[in-house]
Amino acid sequence: MNVTSSTVEGITVIEASGSIDSKTASEFERNAIAAIQGKSAAIINLSNVDFLSSAGLRVLLMIYRQIKAQNGKVVLVGTSEEILDIMANTGFLSFFITAETLEEGINTLKAA
Amino acid sequence: MERKTFPGTLDSLAGIREVVKEEAQRAGLSKKAAYNLMLALDEIATNIIVHGYEETGTEGVVDVLVDHSDSQLTVILEDDAAPFDPLQRELPNEEFFARPLEERPIGGMGIHLTINAVDEFKYEFTNNRNRNIFIVKTSDA
Repeated sequence: MNVTSSTVEGITVIEASGSIDSKTASEFERNAIAAIQGKSAAIINLSNVDFLSSAGLRVLLMIYRQIKAQNGKVVLVGTSEEILDIMANTGFLSFFITAETLEEGINTLKAA
Repeated sequence: MERKTFPGTLDSLAGIREVVKEEAQRAGLSKKAAYNLMLALDEIATNIIVHGYEETGTEGVVDVLVDHSDSQLTVILEDDAAPFDPLQRELPNEEFFARPLEERPIGGMGIHLTINAVDEFKYEFTNNRNRNIFIVKTSDA
């Protein structure tokens, strides 16, 4: 697993790749939480994430809570069908905005 | 049954998922069914490693056994941690999933995901070992 964060058109983008499981979730959490400190919007790019366990869902929950505390929105980009299914089954999906591409995600946040 | 033995540490999760992925492909499972089976194994293996071994300061192994016959793929996780039946834990109910994410307790989702990810999930304690059994139907005749 790998995590990088950047700012694209003023919006914080966190990009993860690989598998997010109980072994790797803490690194995802550390990077993501640091990157969104005080921010009112964030994009999580999951295009290259091939596996996400409940440990990964837990990190998404923490990101959501932190952004929500700033009355902000979280966009998930490029989430695989399998992961979207799991998120739907656990009631997670309705709290996030989903986009297929980074560009679409940025446009959605700018329009909001 | 073919048996593969992994050390009971979180480093083993990727290897356990890889075994499951290969077996799922060999059994002709759909991409979604294969993913869900990997997820179920990952969740239960995590519980065994974290709660069964690490938190109790004990070391041990996690064995993965696989069998494909009678139109079903059976994967079994065996471990030597203290007896623990995941099905005895209280599962999140509808009220849990209806709550906004701000108010939800963190955790408690792993076993819910596991049960929903496979056709059948069973637990038994046999010969002093925990056996978590995952069964997925396959379409072979």
